[in-house]
Amino acid sequence: MDEELIGFFREPCSQCSVVNWGVTEEGGYYCKSCHNVIERTVEVTDPSCVTGSRVSAISHGAKKPAKQKHGKDWMVCEGFQFILKQQAEALLAMGVRPELKDDILCNFWRGYLHKSQQAYTTKPLYSVTSQQESDSCPESLAASELSCLSKAETESDMDGARSTISGWSSDGGRLSSVCTEALDSSLYCSARERRMHHLMTMPMTLAFLHLSLLWLQEAITLADLLRFTAEGHIPYINAYQNFPEDMKLFGRDALIFRVESLPSYKMVQEEAHNLAIFLDLPRFPPLTSACLLHPSLLCLRYLMELNLPDELHVWVCWVMQQAGVGKDTFLTYDPWAEKSGLLNYDILASALIVVTLKLLFKLDDQQEWCLSNSADDENKQNQDSSIFCFRKWYKTVQGALVVAKEAEEQAMARKSWKSQKPVYPSMRNKSVVIKRRRVVEQLQAQFQKLTGSDPQPRQDSPSSFRLRWGEEDGGGPSYQGRRLGSAVKKRKGSARPSNPTYWHTALSSCKPRHCTDHFLEMEDSLPRSYVSVLGMVSFLLGVQETHVHAEVCLLERLLFKRPCQPRTKTSHGSRRKK
Amino acid sequence: MITNGCMLKSFKVTEEKGNPLPPQREKKPKTSPCVLRCGTAYGNLLAMDDISAEWMTSPVRDCGSDNDVSNDDDDEDDEEEEPIRKRSKWPDLPIPAPWYGETSKETGFHRSSRLCLNQIRECLLEHRWQEAAEYLISYFQTLEEISTPRQLLATEIIFRLGSEILHQHPNSKLEDVNHFFDLMKNTGVRGYLKISLEHSFHLLLTGNFDDAVRQLTTAESWRYGKQSAVQADKMKLIHAYRGFLSYLSWISKKGSSSEDDDGDVSAIQEMHTYFRQACISLQEILKLPGVWDPFVVGYVNMLEFYNDHEGALNVLKEYAYDSRFPPNPNAHVYLYRFLKRQGSTEKKQIRVLKILGALVPSHELMLELFSLLLESGTEQSLKEALDVLFNLLDDCSWKHSVAAWTCFRNMIKLLRRKKLKHLLEEGWETRKDWWPAFHFRTYHARADFQLSRQLLLMKVVVASTLVGNSKNAFSACLGLIVPANPLGRCFPTQSTFLLLGAGKEQKHGLGVLVNP
Repeated sequence: MDEELIGFFREPCSQCSVVNWGVTEEGGYYCKSCHNVIERTVEVTDPSCVTGSRVSAISHGAKKPAKQKHGKDWMVCEGFQFILKQQAEALLAMGVRPELKDDILCNFWRGYLHKSQQAYTTKPLYSVTSQQESDSCPESLAASELSCLSKAETESDMDGARSTISGWSSDGGRLSSVCTEALDSSLYCSARERRMHHLMTMPMTLAFLHLSLLWLQEAITLADLLRFTAEGHIPYINAYQNFPEDMKLFGRDALIFRVESLPSYKMVQEEAHNLAIFLDLPRFPPLTSACLLHPSLLCLRYLMELNLPDELHVWVCWVMQQAGVGKDTFLTYDPWAEKSGLLNYDILASALIVVTLKLLFKLDDQQEWCLSNSADDENKQNQDSSIFCFRKWYKTVQGALVVAKEAEEQAMARKSWKSQKPVYPSMRNKSVVIKRRRVVEQLQAQFQKLTGSDPQPRQDSPSSFRLRWGEEDGGGPSYQGRRLGSAVKKRKGSARPSNPTYWHTALSSCKPRHCTDHFLEMEDSLPRSYVSVLGMVSFLLGVQETHVHAEVCLLERLLFKRPCQPRTKTSHGSRRKK
Repeated sequence: MITNGCMLKSFKVTEEKGNPLPPQREKKPKTSPCVLRCGTAYGNLLAMDDISAEWMTSPVRDCGSDNDVSNDDDDEDDEEEEPIRKRSKWPDLPIPAPWYGETSKETGFHRSSRLCLNQIRECLLEHRWQEAAEYLISYFQTLEEISTPRQLLATEIIFRLGSEILHQHPNSKLEDVNHFFDLMKNTGVRGYLKISLEHSFHLLLTGNFDDAVRQLTTAESWRYGKQSAVQADKMKLIHAYRGFLSYLSWISKKGSSSEDDDGDVSAIQEMHTYFRQACISLQEILKLPGVWDPFVVGYVNMLEFYNDHEGALNVLKEYAYDSRFPPNPNAHVYLYRFLKRQGSTEKKQIRVLKILGALVPSHELMLELFSLLLESGTEQSLKEALDVLFNLLDDCSWKHSVAAWTCFRNMIKLLRRKKLKHLLEEGWETRKDWWPAFHFRTYHARADFQLSRQLLLMKVVVASTLVGNSKNAFSACLGLIVPANPLGRCFPTQSTFLLLGAGKEQKHGLGVLVNP
């Protein structure tokens, strides 16, 4: 065995320049003539690793337990693959169909690896020989500040076996340092390289999940996905903690895998769209009205969550029909369609609800209160409270929302971001980082003892609904079964809203890149009740009000299709509804 | 043995007035304000705005120059320190550090820590210690902050919050506190001496005098590479407090040995040892400009005990008149009291008090200055005495002081007797446009009457003299108030009051008023 191993290694000793190697029990090489132990260790090669066909599940457990003290060599995309696998498993545990992991996400990932030349290619982006050249600079965090332009162009001819992601073999003369970072992490440290090769980032893992969920037409929208991530149901913050034992993070890896904030809705959406284009994805499966992502079904869910009466759903569907946003041609995502981004289904659905509320109650700080008065009168006459009263609803929901916001803020204040296994930026700092971690743990333990609190706060199971109504511990009474009453009039056999007018902001669309959002400058001039409704909706989705407002404007533009004409900025252009 | 309460009191003095402000600020702008604030944290922990203020004011250079993650290897630190300093874009100015508030680019982690700090602050303000401690558990993660300035700040904040919470939390024990302080000391080696000092303060507050002494003795002998040299300022403070504690021991020994007069020689010997220890340290710190009130008081006390009045006077004069020292009213107060104890001439006393009056016109000793000036009796001193009174009553804390207004009334009487009423007009000239609104409104009269009848009487006399009889709303309003009193049936005119005011006894005067 020893002879075999030593046979591979024919370099002269650095001390005495004699080639006479022996192998220690730990698997390290030592020079038999001068007893100089070098840092290079015997690398255990495993055929299953080289030919590893199942990319979706690199199982390091299948390999022989690594003998090395400091872990094996690994590549950054392996790390991301591991994280994606964990995230997919978390989604499966939530009840997503198993195809997600094995078919869709796996295929996307393979496609990505291929397109970005990280695997399944004869010209890998990173090769051991290129690493040798770039590795001449010392490994430290300081080096990452220099743009590590490792020569990706020096592509050596690789044999077929190398084409898998873990396809480097042990014949490279690379001396592994005591603590190794991922082989190709230097590539990831330069923004230019990252852009050029579309390298992975942590937010991109969520983009992958989003695309897969969208392909499968699962009921988890992007807002849900981000919320589950924030609540920790989907591994994201410190996801690297769970890496297998022999994948050790060090130095620059920290920059790649350490997460100090959650990506925004917009950001993930853009990432997902770019990814879809990069992957050259075809048109997604058509989104029919039976899918849970269809606005009419999403609206039902949001109506329930907002504690609005079911009767509104008819009106929402009517608005949807009028605006033409219910058709699968509109809804289906096609990366290559003209001026198509990813549709934000959840925001669209909530915007539909806002438009419907505006249609029925006008939300101009007058009409809705008048209607509430008449609803109160009706209720008094009938001696029950079967008619939906906007004022009561507003008070209930607003109250619950204030409580929920406060709770969210407190949860945010208590959120733990730091990993239990810190990553050392460099060997020099290792002791400091470890010490600091230990101090934090000791302090936490001391104060936990002092307060008598649980070290691990209990975690609620994931739920689609943030607010609950009509239950004992819910936010308040449920208005689901209420009727709209006098807010709707029967005229000539068909129902019409008794509110005669509809207001909207300027319909002309702005130039796409010149101005982005007018909500902040307009906010003060908009009716308060409209802004509050926007606030409720945006809190539920976890997006900013301006996104919902933009979606409402888009819907209004579709509803009142007019030839685009420059209008003076009258924010309260009022218009009669047919 | 000195009582605990006395000790606490003396420490309170330290906290309130004695923020020792070594003048190194001018010489070494690199020193952070934190250095100069030693001894304050205990009193001010609740005032979290202090922390915020410190964030804003602590010079960037401070963060930049101490830029190293590893506290553990000093040699490497110092190697690194220089290049960073050169690289730093900041000019050599005390620019405020960036305020880590809400920004659009704030990371989630920073948002969490900001919200958490806000929550803790709310809890502390409302004395919800349990909740504050729970939030602090989450806040500890900021110690693992990557950027060095933020990390240093986090150490400081956690140290202050933690010690305050442990101090107040019902379940906390002394071991907890000690453990916490030890942990913090070894985490932020840079703050070792400061934390040691705070630790000893805490021990003093909880009555563990010996432990506090031990703590300071350990800190005195602390050596840690170049870290101890950087903290030289704090080392001086440690020495000073160590000396101060020796002084406290000296006091307790003095108390016990004076009880039994034939005290044995060893006790006296011990007392002398403490005296020598305290003397050396206190002498040292008093050479440095700063506000050292408790130290000065202690030192002078000891010198007086050993009859070194000359030395004590020199120390006090140095402390009061050395221009390197920041202006400090207490210095003059101590000097005045010393002179008074020694029975020195009035002239000297007046001179000291005049300087004090220039610094703090509303100081409580101004009444003493007034009577001293009256005693000398010349026209010049009368004028000065009147000025003192006017200045005193300019301050709203004296508004309702019976003593001050009585003095004024007496002064008016005196001036009238000596036919020097023009002096009154000189002082009144600058005040006539605002004193009526400040002192002599109807509602003032009403409030004064509620407070004390005598005060009202005095004020009426002064008001009628100063403002004049005809259009003084203040004295006119008396007609409204006095009848409301069930005792007073008559409607006193101003002249009755003037007569009454001129009477010998106010009480007697009142008696006349009630039974005309």
